[in-house]
Amino acid sequence: MSNPAGLISAVTYRDPKAALAWLEAAFGFELVFLIEGEDASVAHAEMSHGASRVMIGGEWSPAHASPASIGGKTTQTIHIYIEGDVDAHCQTAAAAGAEIVEPPATQFYGARTYRCRDLEGHLWTVSADVETVSVEEMERRSGLKITVAKG
Amino acid sequence: MSSRIVVSLRIAASPEVVFDAFVDDIAVWWRPNGLFAFTPRSPGVMAFEDGRLVERLPNGKVFEVGVVSVWERGARLVFGWRQAAFTPDMNTEVEVRFEAVGEGTRVTVEHRGWDSVPAPHVARHGFPNAAFLARHGEWWRNLLAGLAARANSVHLGAGDEGLS
Repeated sequence: MSNPAGLISAVTYRDPKAALAWLEAAFGFELVFLIEGEDASVAHAEMSHGASRVMIGGEWSPAHASPASIGGKTTQTIHIYIEGDVDAHCQTAAAAGAEIVEPPATQFYGARTYRCRDLEGHLWTVSADVETVSVEEMERRSGLKITVAKG
Repeated sequence: MSSRIVVSLRIAASPEVVFDAFVDDIAVWWRPNGLFAFTPRSPGVMAFEDGRLVERLPNGKVFEVGVVSVWERGARLVFGWRQAAFTPDMNTEVEVRFEAVGEGTRVTVEHRGWDSVPAPHVARHGFPNAAFLARHGEWWRNLLAGLAARANSVHLGAGDEGLS
């Protein structure tokens, strides 16, 4: 199957099989592709959320580490955009064991967001648009200079 | 003994429509893959008939891919999957699950048993196990995309206009 141009994050876990179950329970991601080898280890896995996918893998090379293996550090974070209730999403994630780092709050740019750590310490930000805010209003609220490409 | 391929796709049609498209229209949505041909004379025309999945070959012969062991319309389908080059002790199995999700269906294919086919076997084309399974899994993704196109055309009432 050919893939259209786009981006996919591959997220590293010590226990990718546990991560697959957790990400489904906490965020509602759906498993779309899984290859297990002779020892039932995860050779390749992809989950979907809306039109997006993430790959879930183990620490398969010296360059790949879970935050759980490097003192909780991460070098990138992933944002989940939902069409729905961020607070309810947060409750579901917390019930699945997510550590809520920042509880739901409405941001100056018109999104309600929360941030959490998953079972191995990856940081996820969950966001839903709740208000349409003009660039001028964003600048007024935040004091930032905002540049938006004219599409 | 636990190598397996799992591929899942949401299709915007009911489980019954997707199940019927899977079994009744397999000749329409199937996309042969030369790397994983059932016989040296493949591709032929796929069909579920007499409790079996078969490939009707261009020379008129019928190759039995496998026997259907579970046929639960709109829910579950399980059948055997053998290539002509398999020895009697080599067997793989395909389980297809049809799960209602909202107004659509999440169809999941689980293909297992590849550990019964040893690494040097011709069916594996010399690929390491994970690479072989990944290539085969990509084919299943392709197949489910074909199934989705077929099921959607049935769902939308296009009927046989989807035939090509």
